[in-house]
Amino acid sequence: MGLGGVADADPRFRNTPYPLDPDFTEWGAAESRRLASTNTPGECNPWGPVAFMGGSGLFPIQILQGPNVIVIHYEAITQPRRIYMDGRRHPPADELLPTFNGHSIGRWDGDTLVVDTVGTNGRTRPLNGYVSGSVLSSGVDTAPRLPGSEQLHVSERIRLVGGGQYLEDTINVEDPKTYRKPWSVKRYWQRRPDIDVQEYACEDNRRRDAEGQDTTGTQPR
Amino acid sequence: MKLLPSVGLIAVVFVAQPALAHHSFANFDLSRDITLAGTIKEVQFTNPHVWLQVMVPDGKGGQTEWSIEAGAPGMLLRTGWKPNTLKSGDAITVVTHPAKNGDANGSLIRVILPDGRTLGPGGPPAALKSGG
Repeated sequence: MGLGGVADADPRFRNTPYPLDPDFTEWGAAESRRLASTNTPGECNPWGPVAFMGGSGLFPIQILQGPNVIVIHYEAITQPRRIYMDGRRHPPADELLPTFNGHSIGRWDGDTLVVDTVGTNGRTRPLNGYVSGSVLSSGVDTAPRLPGSEQLHVSERIRLVGGGQYLEDTINVEDPKTYRKPWSVKRYWQRRPDIDVQEYACEDNRRRDAEGQDTTGTQPR
Repeated sequence: MKLLPSVGLIAVVFVAQPALAHHSFANFDLSRDITLAGTIKEVQFTNPHVWLQVMVPDGKGGQTEWSIEAGAPGMLLRTGWKPNTLKSGDAITVVTHPAKNGDANGSLIRVILPDGRTLGPGGPPAALKSGG
């Protein structure tokens, strides 16, 4: 089964929405409020596996499929996802180094790639993608920020649909520190052999003053 | 983006959601568009964002240097731009969301090139960028 190649998201696709009223734990609710302030993770940090696969409508992904590993690059994220396909398990919890994108293992269920991810570090942007300093704005931007903690467990089912022209990723999120119940979304990517993934060096020419950014409040915690 | 109407699984109905770029655009006044006529001083075709430095007559015999922010180079290259589309000295018209704090900065909406073509910021209109 070949998933390899470049694919692009589009905000017009009928992605299923992120939950607007998630069943937060106390910690999750407080963390969601914090993520809607200027005191949020650094804007150039990797996005974590959920926001990664959620897509932005601005940047494509590139999937490289080898016999024992699948690597997914995302134009705007410096670190790729590595999905190990060699039958290994996750390392024991006490040996797992927490990372932005976590530890991912995959297997095929027919033509569907089944991916399991643990070991995230809880320091990335919200699972629904909002960025540093992206504060709530009445009438414009009111969606709750969806935190992911170090207890995040992501299960994905990725397959081709639409005659092979689209990738569908059904993303199931369990995070008992943040949510009392799991939730899931479906996100779509259009395969685009006609475009290339470009270099994106997030730290290169950051003119935060000219953007009017708060240059003191957006440090990684 | 070209979408194929024969694909039934994916309706192409517009679903309002913010496009998620690398930073918030909350510091630009997305409710205001201003139009600037000037000349290109410099194009910074750089990550994470492309910047147009534009010299604009200030009406008092001098000029003000504006910094106009567009999308990432990859976004621009996929929407008709090339690194040499604009050069120093080119006469252009820029429509931009100005900075809320009154500084000579803006978020690009569109630019009219010397040959009359119009190019955008590489992604959805800035009004959709409120989430990032």
